[in-house]
Formats: sequence, structure tokens, C-alpha cells
Amino acid sequence: MGAPSGAVDPNEASGLSLSAPERAALQVLRTAPGGPGLEETEVAEAARIPIEAARGSLQRLKGKHLAVSDEEHLERFRLTPRGSAALAEGLPERKLLRFLAAAGRPLEAADLGDSGLDPSARSAAIGILRRAGRLAAGASFAIAESVPAERPFPEELALPKISQGEGEIPSAVLESLKRRGLVVAERTTRRRWSASAEGRALPLVDGPDAIGAVTPDRLSSDTWRGVSWRPYDVRATVPRQSGAHRHPYRVWVEEFEEILVGLGFSELRGPLLETEFWNSDALFMPQDHPARSIQDVLGVRGIVGHPPDPGLLERVAAAHEGVPMPGESGPISVGWSAPYDRARAARPVLRSQTTAVSVRKLSAHPSAPFRYYAIDRNFRRDAVDATHHVEFQQCEGILGESGTSLRELIGTFQALAEAIGIRDLKIRPSYFPFTEPSIEGYVRHPELGWIEVFPGGLFRPEVLRPLGIDVPVAAWGIGITRLALVALGVRDIRELYTNDLERLGRGVL
Amino acid sequence: MPQSTLSLARLGAMVGRPVHLDELERLLFASKAEVHAGPGDSVSIEVTPDRLDLLCEGGLGLYLQGALGLVEGAPKAIGGSADPRGIAIVSDPSVAPLRPVIQATVATAPPGMPLDAGLLEEAIRFQELLHATVGSDRRLASLGLYPFDRHRPPYRYTLEAISDVTIVPLDGDRPVPAERFLSSHPLAARYAALGTEGTRLLTLRDAAGAVLSLPPILNARPAGEVVEGATSLLLESTGTRAARVSDALGLMGLVFAARGWRLDPVAVSVPEPEPVPSPRPPGRSLNLSEATLRALSGRSFPAHEVARALARSRVSARAEAGGWSVAVPPWRPDLIAEVDLAEEVILERGIHPEEGQLPPSRTRGRRGWDRGLEDRLTDLLLGAGFTETNTTVLVADPLAARLGRREAIEIAHPVSEQFGHLRDALQISLLGVLEANVRHPYPQRLFEIGSVVCADPTAESGAATRRHAGGVVASERAGFAEAAAWADYLTQAFGATGVREPADLPGTIPGRSARLKIAGEAVAEIGEIAPAVLVGGHLPMPVAWFELDLDRLWPLLGRSGTT
Repeated sequence: MGAPSGAVDPNEASGLSLSAPERAALQVLRTAPGGPGLEETEVAEAARIPIEAARGSLQRLKGKHLAVSDEEHLERFRLTPRGSAALAEGLPERKLLRFLAAAGRPLEAADLGDSGLDPSARSAAIGILRRAGRLAAGASFAIAESVPAERPFPEELALPKISQGEGEIPSAVLESLKRRGLVVAERTTRRRWSASAEGRALPLVDGPDAIGAVTPDRLSSDTWRGVSWRPYDVRATVPRQSGAHRHPYRVWVEEFEEILVGLGFSELRGPLLETEFWNSDALFMPQDHPARSIQDVLGVRGIVGHPPDPGLLERVAAAHEGVPMPGESGPISVGWSAPYDRARAARPVLRSQTTAVSVRKLSAHPSAPFRYYAIDRNFRRDAVDATHHVEFQQCEGILGESGTSLRELIGTFQALAEAIGIRDLKIRPSYFPFTEPSIEGYVRHPELGWIEVFPGGLFRPEVLRPLGIDVPVAAWGIGITRLALVALGVRDIRELYTNDLERLGRGVL
Repeated sequence: MPQSTLSLARLGAMVGRPVHLDELERLLFASKAEVHAGPGDSVSIEVTPDRLDLLCEGGLGLYLQGALGLVEGAPKAIGGSADPRGIAIVSDPSVAPLRPVIQATVATAPPGMPLDAGLLEEAIRFQELLHATVGSDRRLASLGLYPFDRHRPPYRYTLEAISDVTIVPLDGDRPVPAERFLSSHPLAARYAALGTEGTRLLTLRDAAGAVLSLPPILNARPAGEVVEGATSLLLESTGTRAARVSDALGLMGLVFAARGWRLDPVAVSVPEPEPVPSPRPPGRSLNLSEATLRALSGRSFPAHEVARALARSRVSARAEAGGWSVAVPPWRPDLIAEVDLAEEVILERGIHPEEGQLPPSRTRGRRGWDRGLEDRLTDLLLGAGFTETNTTVLVADPLAARLGRREAIEIAHPVSEQFGHLRDALQISLLGVLEANVRHPYPQRLFEIGSVVCADPTAESGAATRRHAGGVVASERAGFAEAAAWADYLTQAFGATGVREPADLPGTIPGRSARLKIAGEAVAEIGEIAPAVLVGGHLPMPVAWFELDLDRLWPLLGRSGTT
């Protein structure tokens, strides 16, 4: 994948250069006398640039660490439209006092309807006057004689001051005015700007000669000589690049292969679509074994397979039936004591275990000593979830030599575990139809505890003798997918096949 | 894995003292079994398919007695002669097409220890487990238990007219015609197909004509009703496969043999030839040589150690020149060859990681001959900005169909349509990756080197697995020319120059696809993906595709036309 479409010069795009207004503003800051710093208007005036340009330039200079600002947060009050009306016409409580004074007698509640106040304002004004002791006691409404009617209310004193933006207003009065919707608070920030240490140290080049990008035109026209290059903020964020990557899982598998090659194992490959003969029969798996049912093994439509070499087929059939192989006097064992269905041997199935690859190789009679491995796909009818997949990879290995025993098999497990940095190995007995003895090697993972990764055993005589192999052969089939999940820190097997390009571009799954 | 829930109290009774879970875990290590706490006074035990004998209290008790060194050798349960009492089952030839095999054993309680409720329950539980496992849900083998003292041998196993049979089902209280039983009983609904053929059904009757059972469906009362207090039982197994029938019967006898019951085989006769004893219940003999044991284990065992290990495995062994002769009890069908006995000895002694050894290799390891070429191809594609993918060989039906890949092999019973075909080209997988990444910025360049499966009537399995290297480019300007250029670049990097020939390739725009041929062999396919394919997958960009057949390309390197 290349650069994103529509890409521009990343140096320009990142904002590393200084524009003319920025240069001018920075120059003003650098030459300003010491003190609290300059306000934006002062910078605009001195730099001879509009105030909006000054504000933007100062912010960008700050983003480039070339300017700093001291900020002072101010709260200023102003009259609302209702507050302005009250200033001009009087507060409702003043209007009510005037109405009572004009009446010259105590009034009943019904009489107050002519005061010119709407019911809610009238009700609020009565409350204020009563709380302030400006109404005489009693059910009717009359001005209290104890307080001169013309005495101003605190709010009446505050409104002109707020209107003119001067004087101190008691906070209780301000709160009252705000609550009554006559006054609102406005918060403003006053900034004073000065050049940062880096802004003062930055070499500033004046004039239009300071340029940004190196362009082909400039190079070919020789106009780059004698010009000054705008310095860039080398710490600014730059666009993210992504390049071609290998798939992390495949890289890990290849590293594992190198370990095997180093231990003297050579690679084998085999067909993904196998016959039942190689997938199971030659492995001495009984034809009625549950793992051979269509609930476990995947078949195909429209494909016809062929039986193996007739001689080999008869020898394997004899091992299954527990009768002597052609030309021999006694059977290898009682076998499965069941008729062997020769027609089934040719049936094609998706390979369910890489051991089929090993057995194919053994049928070619490799000369001992030999060590082989195969890392390849297998298929089983597993429902797909975080730990199971219909398609998975196994690492199969065989080593054959006179004297090969269980100890060499365990030694192989130890060597492989150590090569991938695991020292704790535990061996448990196990069961596989084609090996005896059979074992499983468990390794200890720091987070997951003991996990089974090394199943193996020694091939049974019912496997080896029909193939004509006369040396003991140790075989193992590592769940390499499981091992890779642990090594790569992946918890869901499906992620091995997800191919999210955003993640692959970062080299992770 | 087969599993069962067993009573710790009954195990304790076998061992002679209480048995605890943690002790069980330790003792069962060598048996491959796993044990977990169960409800109440029980444990759940899971075994490998070869050790079904551990799934009843009797079998596990025998194992524990040996592992603890309390009792060694096989229980003396097997009758000495084939037919000591002249008991016989006459198997009528009529059963041959349907369920030809029958075997039986008579189990006799030790004096003063008749069948109790616990043992009866254990036997019935184990019987059902064996039906499900060894018997493949009674298809290959099924078992019957009968009170031996309630009927008179010889028995007759035959196929007779349904209309001639009336039984009292084991769970019923009055006689019913077999026809009605077959049409109404739940077990008949499930298993009648295994025991009937047209208008006839299988029966097992005694000499007086009493029906013991309708194999493999259900026993009949009273001849087939086992109750507490019985002192002898007839254990019978019918089926379609002799080995399974033997295994089932041998394992069933274990429940009783473990408690000191005696097992006597029952002769089965057919009109011709002469009556023969059941082949497996008496057990069989196997030899274990010192040489085999040493070869498998990689070490020498003192003779007394081997003898003790075999005795603790609860088999009877006799030392012979160069080895041992072992009598395999009928409940150990997993012991079929010398290597199986060797494993018993090795496991009894324990397997220790520190005994592992890997001598320096006398072989030189190497990867496949073509892997170096694939590495070089990978380097070229990475250098050209292609990202490597890892996709499955099984591909989705809808995508394969949209691309028109009619040659892709169809899976018979797929897990889901997402894995319904085997890919015959990496093109399918790579398009799938592009479709899954439409939100990722363009251009996108992807490649994969992997296997494809192509129908090939000459191949042994009917299909050939081939190595391909495929690439796709999705960008505003992607098209045939770019695909062709990449194919040229890659082949020429290996010194091979090809000639393009028009071809009609699946999933591409007609007239914009070609095969690249070298020395007359088509080594690559190239094309511009058809808009219908792109739109169907919501791909917003044109896509160029190229795919090299590496199995064809590599052999051509260095030949005429290549450098």
C-alpha cells in the first residue's frame, strides 16, 4: 500500500513552516519590552496585521511552542433586556410603591390589578416589599410609615452601576439580580502573549525569500540558490505511513521451521484432498472409528479417488483384519478383527491429520536414519469459534532410526520446547490408534498454565510393517496453531485468517 | 472422550478404605484418565477410547487395587473350559442377514454374595455406556442381562414372524402382541430397525419357549428380568460385528469379575459346523519380549520389575525365555499386540521428561526444494508494496459462485456456506480479503503464496494440490495492464519470459484476461475483475489480478525460452 490518496508535501501539511503573519507576530513578541506580555490587540497593531490574523497566528505560534500566553479569566455583568427596562422604568416593587402612594389609602388585593403590573410581577413585588418591611402590617396594602417611600432598593442602586460597568456590587445583590433575570454574567479571558525561549532563539528570516518545499521546478530552475528555507517544527505530528508487511503468523511458522531444520528434519508436503486409505487406513484407524464419521471428516462431491497399490492395500487390509499379510505365516496382531472394506480405501476426504503425509513418505521406504516434518493445513467438521476452526495447521514430524525409542521422542519435545523458550515440560500418557506407547507433552505458559502441545508416540507395528518399514519410527503432531496463538498473544484462532489490513499494516494480527 | 460418574463409596468398598479425589488424580495419571469432582459422593471420570474398563466402579476398583499394590494379577474369574455345563445357544441361520453374531457368558456369584441393588445398578449403567460406545448405539453390538435360574437352556436365537410373538415388556405388567409393542414402545421406535426385517423380528427364547428378549430392543418379563438376590446371570451380546460383540461382552463381565463372580463361556452353535465356544470371553494370550520392551522404552528393565508392573496392571503374566507370556482378560480389548503390553510396563513405571534424549542428528535438515524460490517471490512482492495475507483453503460458496469458479470442488456436508468449497485459485481468497477491507485506504496491494486444490482424475484422490502465488491490486487505475505487468515482472525476475494469450477466465472482464505461457505451458493467469463481481462484493475500486502456477513455473526455469 502506498501513501494515502490526495497526499501533499508532508512538511507543509504538518505546519512546520511560519507564515508571514506568524513571522510578524513572533517578531513583535521578541522585541516587546519585558513585563506581563502583550494583548492580542497590541500585537495586531504593532505587527500591522488584522486582529483576527493576529489571534490565529498567536495560537499557531503557541502550537509550535514558539509563544506562550498568560491567561486571566474575567467575569463581567451586563443587563438583560428586562434589566434595561427596569433601569429605565423602575423595578416592579418601585412601580407598586408609586401606585400605592398615588392611591393615598390602603388598597385591597383586587385594586392592585390597576397597578400596570402583570399578575406574576405583581405577586413578586408584593413579596419583596413585605420582606423589606415596606408595606404596613394588615390584610390590606398600604406603604409602611416607618421607612421613607423614596428610599432606594439595593437593586435600584446596582442597576446603573452595572449598566456603566463600574463600581463594586455586593454579591448578594448580584445574585438577586441574576436570579430575577435582570443581569447575566459574561466570562472572558484576557491573554497576554510573549515569545517562548524557543521562539526567542529561533532564527527568523524576514521577507518572502523564506521558502518551504523543495520542488522539482525550483531544483531545475536553479532558483533554490540564495534562498532561505523555512525551519520546521520537527516535533509536530506527521501523517502515518504504512508499507507492505509479511503476515505475522506465517513469519512465526517459518521461524519454527528453522528450528526443525536445525534439528535435522527435512520438509514434506502432501495432498490436501486425500483418500481414506492414506488419511486413516494406513494409520491403522479402524474403519468404524468415530473420528472417521461424516460428523468429523469432510467429504467432497463429484470427485472419484483411486485405490493404492494393490499389494499395499492387501497388507494394510491384513493388519486391520488381524490375518497374516500375503506371504507371511502369522498376523501382526488380532487387529480390529473386523472385515476391511477395500472399496472405502479410495474414497476422497479432506485430510484430517498431517500424519497422512508422514505415512505416504514411509511407504516410499526412506533409508534410515531419517527425520521429516510437515507443516500444513488439515480439516475437521468443527464448529468455528475462538478456539476451534474447520481448517487448522499441524506440524507433523517423524524420526526413524535403529534404536529410536520413547526417549528420543521426549528428547525431541524437550529440544523444541527449549528452542521456543519454554523450559517446563510435563509428559502424560495418551492414546492414539496408530502409536503405542503414546504420550502428550505439556508446556507451562506463564499466564495459561499447562497447555498440551506435543502429542506423539511410536508407530505401531500394524502401521509400519504393511509399509515395509523395519526401524522404529517416532511420530508427533504438534498443534502449531495453538502454539502460535500463545506465542503471538492472540486469543481467537479466527484472527489468524482475518487479514485486517489496518492491523497487518502495523505488523500485528 | 467417553466419561462416566462413579461413586467414591463403592470405589472405597473395592479398595478397602476411603478413596479421595486428589489420590485418584495421582493414581490415574498412568491410565490416561482424568478425574473431576462430581455431585455428592461421586467423581466424574473421563478416559481415552481404549480404557472403557475404567468407567465402572468394578473396573476402576481393580485398577486402584493394583496401583496401590493391594492386589496384583488378574482376578480368578474365567472358567477353565469352554462349556463346562453344556449350556448352549443355537443361532438360527435366519438371523445372518440382520444381526448374525451372538455370544454369551454365565456369571456366577461367589457363595453367600448374591446380586445386590448397588451392583445391579452399576451393571445397568455400564451396559448403557457400552451400548453407546462399543455398540455404536446398539448398531454394532448390544447387551442383555438375564436371571440364569429362571429359564432352561439351550437357548434359541432366531428371526420369527412378528405375529407369533407376544411378550411382557420389561417395564410392563401384561402380555402384549409384538406388533403392538413395536408400534408403541419408545425403545422400539428407536431400535426396532435393528431387530426387525419385514414381518419378522429377532427373539431369544429358552428351551421352554419363554421369550428372554427382543434383541437389541428390550428384555421380556419374567425370563429377562434381573432382580436383587440373583446368584447367576446370563450375559449375552448380539450384533453385526464379532469383535465389537466380544469387546462388549468382555467389558460387561468386568462388573461381576471384579466382585469375585465366576465367568463361564457359553457355546454358540449353528447347525453347521460343530458348536464353537465364544471366541473372546476366555481371554487370549500375548507375548512380551525383553527386546521389544527395551526397544520401545530405550532402557532395560529388571525382570522382577516387569513382572510386578504387569501384575499391578491386573493381568496374569508368566516368565518365559526372553520375555513373558500374558493372559489378557476379556475386559482389556485394548491389549492386542506386544507393544500394548510394553506400554503397560512403561506407564506403570512412569514417564519422566528427564529421561528424554535427542542424539545429534545424522541427517541434514532442509526445507522443500521450492521454498527458496517462494522466499524470493515473497521478497519481490513485498518490495513492490504487496502485503501478505493468510487465508483458508476452504472458501465461501457465494464468493466462489460470484466469481464463476465452477471448477472449485464442493464440500459434501460443509460446516457452513462460508467453508463450502475448496479454492481452485487464490483469486477467490484475495477478493474476499479486499471485500473485508473496503474501509481501508486505497490503493491496496495483496498477495499470498499458498495451496489450491484442482480436480484431476489422474490423481490418486481425484484432485491435485498445487502451489500458487496470487496478487491483487485495488486502485483507481488498476486494470489488465497492471496485472500483466506484475506477472511479467515476477516471471522475468526468475529469468523466464512468457507470451500472453487471450483466455476466458472466471471473474474477469471478457477480452481483458489472458494466460501467460512459457515454453507452451500456461504458468500464470491475468485479468481485470468484472464489475459485477466488484459491485456484488461492495468493492468501490477496479481490481487487477494475477496468479502464478508455481508447480508449472519452477520446472521451466532454465529450460528453453528461459534463462
